[in-house]
Amino acid sequence: MEMRRYLSLLGQYSLQYAKVRMEHRWDFFISVFTMTLATVFGLAVVFLIFGRAREMNGWSFDELLFLYGFSLIPMALFNVISVNLYQFADQYLIQGKFDRVLLRPVHSLFQILFEQLRIEALGDAVLGLAIVGVCGPRLGVHAEPGSVAFLVVAVFCGALLYTAIFTILATVSFWWEDKVGVMPPVYNLIVFGRYPLDIYNGFLRVLLSWVIPFGFATFYPAAAVLRGEAYRVYGWLLPVVTGVFCMMALWVWERGVRSYSSTGS
Amino acid sequence: MPALIEVADLVKEFRSFRRGEGVASAFRALFVRQYTTLRAVDSISFRIPAGEMVGYIGPNGAGKSTTIKMLTGILMPTTGSVVSNGYQPFAQRAQYTRTIGAVFGQRTQLWWDIAVVESFRLLKNIYGVTDADYTARMKRFDEVLEIGRYLHQPVRKLSLGERMRCDVAAALLHHPPLLFLDEPTIGLDIVAKDRIREFLKHINRQNGTTILLTTHDLADIEELCARLMVIDKGKLLFDGPLVELKRRLWRENTVKFEVKDREQAQRLESLGLPGVTPERVSELSVRLHFPREMQATAEVIRKVLNAVEVTDIAIEEQSIDDVVKEIYTGSALTHR
Repeated sequence: MEMRRYLSLLGQYSLQYAKVRMEHRWDFFISVFTMTLATVFGLAVVFLIFGRAREMNGWSFDELLFLYGFSLIPMALFNVISVNLYQFADQYLIQGKFDRVLLRPVHSLFQILFEQLRIEALGDAVLGLAIVGVCGPRLGVHAEPGSVAFLVVAVFCGALLYTAIFTILATVSFWWEDKVGVMPPVYNLIVFGRYPLDIYNGFLRVLLSWVIPFGFATFYPAAAVLRGEAYRVYGWLLPVVTGVFCMMALWVWERGVRSYSSTGS
Repeated sequence: MPALIEVADLVKEFRSFRRGEGVASAFRALFVRQYTTLRAVDSISFRIPAGEMVGYIGPNGAGKSTTIKMLTGILMPTTGSVVSNGYQPFAQRAQYTRTIGAVFGQRTQLWWDIAVVESFRLLKNIYGVTDADYTARMKRFDEVLEIGRYLHQPVRKLSLGERMRCDVAAALLHHPPLLFLDEPTIGLDIVAKDRIREFLKHINRQNGTTILLTTHDLADIEELCARLMVIDKGKLLFDGPLVELKRRLWRENTVKFEVKDREQAQRLESLGLPGVTPERVSELSVRLHFPREMQATAEVIRKVLNAVEVTDIAIEEQSIDDVVKEIYTGSALTHR
């Protein structure tokens, strides 16, 4: 019952949001353009750096491309709902929009995540799927039910993991009312998760696996499909890590709401 | 009658860090922050029975909004308890918010970018209002608030008065038994204010909606609220009917007399009625001041009319503005 209500609200929010976006259509086109450009540059880097070497630390160029392509998909899903997390401190806490959110009988985090959707972010997911679809078979990963099911689950876990991590970071603003917050430096870490983690030194590897586990959203599931054996255990750990981080995010969020102080008036 | 809202020893403290001046201190603030604790609401207790309309007034920064935000479940009380509609607002927010409406005059509750009617549809879904109820209520809102004309404009294009009417309607779409309004008439012109007041009276009478409103406009109180609460510096200074407040603070009556000529004016000035202080306002007018409890106004007037040739009389009512000014500046209520 409650689930159905939230699903129907989700539909409503997307519909409303689509209408707003269509009103400001140039905004939309520009956003599509810049996102495409960013993706193209990212992909160009992979080609420029690894295209010449053809291999890196035992990872072939096709494998690197597969990793990169796969990493785009959960990120794209997360980017659809990430806008308000980035703006959370400024828009909701400092300008006091959070009052309105708390007055509604819908979970506050749900409202923050789904009130603004960036549908154009899905472009990256399409590109990612294409890359995986092309490189996969060349690497012996075929569209069998097993591997497809695993990758689908991995994509959703990855998107959830990003959401949880950035929710925790956004929550920090409840206590430290700074506009920018701690998100940008962490956001910049995401790119490291797009390459094989074993090319990094121990510190970065531990950081990306167990502290801010972007590796689980990108590298580990892709590697589990490509290399099996060595990475299978990480594949099994993925839902566990995701679950733990989601629970942490919800807990921290509740603590944050308790210390929300609203604005003066 | 059981209380709809029951507040006991409610306290809200805010901790904020002290900002010094200059770059050096800003740099220091990066590492060491000195905190100050501000008690915005200081052990307030009151109860409001169902069906009442209560005005909540106080100067800026007195703690009005903070109280309302605790009553609506936005802020968590530091200590003390609130039970409203049978819920604890903060702890049981998900269920509680279904049973209340809230309007914050300074900020719209509607979605800024989409047409008003879309906001209403979203709210309809959020609160699970049935189609039949929705249609009936929207019709009602249009009749009393005349919001039909701008339903299809985005909120950001509405004037303040139009927006406020929409906000009030939006807060009542799910038919809550309890309505909070934080400065619902702020910045509105007289026509728009009237509309809102009429509507509030209407729903209070028609549906028995309990209403708690804060305001700076004392006409709101005079027109709407039989009961008044005054807060300053976080403390509740007064809680009772408006007439009681006036009785307590209204110390002096004044009557202004216009007289026929100078001679009459002088005679009035030197009449020497016991307890009455004359004040020459202009050549042909004199104002008499006398303590409320000592002299009946009619008595004073009769005595004057017997002795002086008067052309006009004006009994000057002390306005509630004056009464409140007295509370704010002199904290008259605390030194009684």
